[in-house]
Amino acid sequence: MSNLPPSRPKPFLEPAYCKGCLRCIEACPRECITPGTEINPVTGLVPVILHLENCNGCTLCVQACPEPFGLRIDPTHGGLEGEFRLEDPEKLFGKKIVEVLTTGDLPDTQIPLPDCEPLVLKGTYASAVGALLAGCRHVYGYPITPSTEGAELMAKMLPKLGGSWIQAVSEVAAVNMMYGTGGAGLPVMTFTSSPGFSLMLEGISYMIGAEVPGVFVNIMRGGPGLGNIAPEQTDIKLACRGLGHGNTHALVFAPSTPQEMLDLTIDAFALSFRYRNPVVVLGDGYLGQMTGVVKLPSHLLKPGLPAWAVWGDRAHRHNLVNSIHLSEPDLEAHNENLNAKYAAMGACQQRSDLYRCEDAEVLVVACNTPARMAKGAVEVARSRGIKAGLFRPITLWPFPIGALKELLPQVTQIVVVEASPGQLEDELRLALSHADVATPPITHVRRFGGILPQQSEILARIEETQGALV
Amino acid sequence: MSTNVFYDHFERHSHGQGLKGHSTHYCAGCGHGIVHRSLAEVIGELGVQDRTVLISPVGCSVFAHYYFDVGNSQAAHGRAPAVALGHKLANPGAIVISYQGDGDLASIGLAETISIAQMGLPITVVFVNNAIYGMTGGQLAPTSLMGQKTATSVEGRTPAMGRPLKMAELMAQLDGPVYVERVALFDARQRMKARKALRKALQLQIEGRGYAFIEVLAECPTHLKMSPEHAEAWVREEMVPVFPLGTKKDLTVEPWFHPAAPSFEPEKILGLSGAEPVEVNKEPPIPHIPGLEDICLKLAGAGGDGAQTAALLLARAAIAEGYDATHIPSYGPESRGGTSYADVHIAAGEVLNPAAAEPDILVAFNAPSLAKFAGSVPPGGLILYDSTVITTPPEVPSDRRVLGVPFTQLAREISRPMVKNVVALGALQAATGLLPPERILSTLRQLLKDKPSMLPVNETAFLAGQRAVESMVAVP
Repeated sequence: MSNLPPSRPKPFLEPAYCKGCLRCIEACPRECITPGTEINPVTGLVPVILHLENCNGCTLCVQACPEPFGLRIDPTHGGLEGEFRLEDPEKLFGKKIVEVLTTGDLPDTQIPLPDCEPLVLKGTYASAVGALLAGCRHVYGYPITPSTEGAELMAKMLPKLGGSWIQAVSEVAAVNMMYGTGGAGLPVMTFTSSPGFSLMLEGISYMIGAEVPGVFVNIMRGGPGLGNIAPEQTDIKLACRGLGHGNTHALVFAPSTPQEMLDLTIDAFALSFRYRNPVVVLGDGYLGQMTGVVKLPSHLLKPGLPAWAVWGDRAHRHNLVNSIHLSEPDLEAHNENLNAKYAAMGACQQRSDLYRCEDAEVLVVACNTPARMAKGAVEVARSRGIKAGLFRPITLWPFPIGALKELLPQVTQIVVVEASPGQLEDELRLALSHADVATPPITHVRRFGGILPQQSEILARIEETQGALV
Repeated sequence: MSTNVFYDHFERHSHGQGLKGHSTHYCAGCGHGIVHRSLAEVIGELGVQDRTVLISPVGCSVFAHYYFDVGNSQAAHGRAPAVALGHKLANPGAIVISYQGDGDLASIGLAETISIAQMGLPITVVFVNNAIYGMTGGQLAPTSLMGQKTATSVEGRTPAMGRPLKMAELMAQLDGPVYVERVALFDARQRMKARKALRKALQLQIEGRGYAFIEVLAECPTHLKMSPEHAEAWVREEMVPVFPLGTKKDLTVEPWFHPAAPSFEPEKILGLSGAEPVEVNKEPPIPHIPGLEDICLKLAGAGGDGAQTAALLLARAAIAEGYDATHIPSYGPESRGGTSYADVHIAAGEVLNPAAAEPDILVAFNAPSLAKFAGSVPPGGLILYDSTVITTPPEVPSDRRVLGVPFTQLAREISRPMVKNVVALGALQAATGLLPPERILSTLRQLLKDKPSMLPVNETAFLAGQRAVESMVAVP
């Protein structure tokens, strides 16, 4: 140490930035630092005192200081920069693997798809193909029946498309991988089923809190607990009202055909990025397995990179994906922003499908596969002279109350059909209550345990309502 | 020595007001600050500030994003490696650092820690082990020492609370990591070694050589209830004997991480999309069973009978013919040999209800399936069953057609018992006129295009089924 040039710069300390931990004292071989004796009036702490007569600029004290603005090299002294100048990193490590972007916001690109005959696909496959067309190349998940085929198809295709399928150690890990890739600004998704979705809820709350996009395809199965692998609709409550802790909401889609599995998965990605929020696609076990005809869209999407992405390059360096806001006013303001977003989703994203509702007096409300049984029942009821119609919510959150409200004046009876003990009806009643409209009598057909309401029992209930009215 | 990887002003620390704009939230003498400084210096020296993404999960270092002027992501407790992996896969050029404490890495996040290390992707995990929970106020950590008194081990840690987890050793015996070292901060020499280890770990990532794990024995004077000086001595004298310092693993690996860029070529995606495009008949469909706009079938048997394949073939053929069609499989819990039922609908317009609770046509491959579903077939319906394995015809009202065809025997006669499902399709076609035979055969050819050697057998099977029915009954 003694042969170091005498001109070597010496440390300095702004006393207010010293917490008086004294770790530098032990570090200094020349005993240049002593404990302070005076309380600093700004901090209330006792900073150390430097006696630099013997200092040879070894910087060991600086390396011992835990505070970034604590002990530092005297910036007025200069000289060090030259001695420690680095080689060009490219020369040392080769060219960077991925070119860093120079603009903050890189737009998406629409690539035309050639005209193509329709595909015959099962629901989970249709969703997977939809995700690929929406530009998703990152899929993380954990095998769980009856959603696994979607993941299996991705595992087969993604390696050939320069994408990543990761079978995570658990759904908990999978959702946090989504948090990473979504936070980096790229489309990301998972396929899961009810017990797995439960495990992901904490991560979904973090994604909502940190405003990270991502698509969750949940092929619902029988519950609670391990339940069974047959279709149910008993995650409606979780998706609409229980996305983890805190003030959370996400768009919840309820497809009822393989075609909608594809279409709504594509829309889910777009809306996930528009709102910087997760989107849930709720299917049921039947729909996941059901094969049907699927037409492809005219374009596929090559995703760009949003300005907010944590990509790590200079253009995005200041970005932060974060859900911790220690100051109460900050967290309240953050929640106000989230609420404004939820309100915008509620106003702009209600979707429903109306089948023979034009003069319907008996309105059947159903979604997913049970909506198809209900459609069959409505058709037969019509053939028997009953003015029945099917109101099918495509978004469960927000509930499409706007379209429903318009039908209500003519409706004398609502029949809610669901594979759950009333979770859809709860959403309906809550929406009606918030809308503050007079509610017609509501009856229902509810099956669960993996059994779907059958067309015959729906028809019987529709006919019963007629009996009651006569 | 460059420290410019820290922000000039800590805007995120209480809005950068007053002293907080230039001081950390860490207690006096905390080891985190020293690791932060070393890490910041190393990032600067290696010239990767504009590529770095730092993951700071729950723990005292959850606010690392207050200080590091790099891309930042704050993660849930224990999940930092998963988040790090998500970043690395999204942007393989990023230098991703997972900075975790002992509760995060060695307790709640143990599964993520180990499983992601085993993947071996080049990320850097910095594990700050101070043998105690800091953020929640001094509780037992997975790395607390035996006998150590904490807020939740009031009389000292006992074996019943678990023994201290030696993470560096555990990680070193995994095949995933290329470099594992345990370092400390208690004197100048250790701090230099720590800095060197951090630099090496990052370098391995920059060069695409692999996953590195650096465990840093750090001081938590506040919760150890010691002066920083005593905390340093405690780490040296108490922790080091339990957690020996040094390199635990150091493999020489050539750079290997060169992931391909994602592809967005339409042809490639269509080619991989899991299904062949169907050439749909552009002529308006004509229902082949007059009076039925929606035909509903159930094909039922045991796994291996081929009910699902036959059902799917039927649905595809119908769609190609211009109808709407659906197929829903239903299986028992067994992976092989359990029950296997398929519901198929074929409709001139739209299939409304895809379930087959009351099938117009039941195709039964075994006796239990026949017994289960024969009663659900409505008047006017058809029950077609394998008379090789079902010797007693079902007892159903006379307004249901019942037809026994020896699917299995006919398949055996062409020495392929497995094609009994195609025999059944031939029989079904002949008995009902459902879909033109040429459409079923062309769909069969399309499905078998990768196994052309199987085609003649299947065609023979289809014809055998047809002929069997034609010889038995007059076609309606």
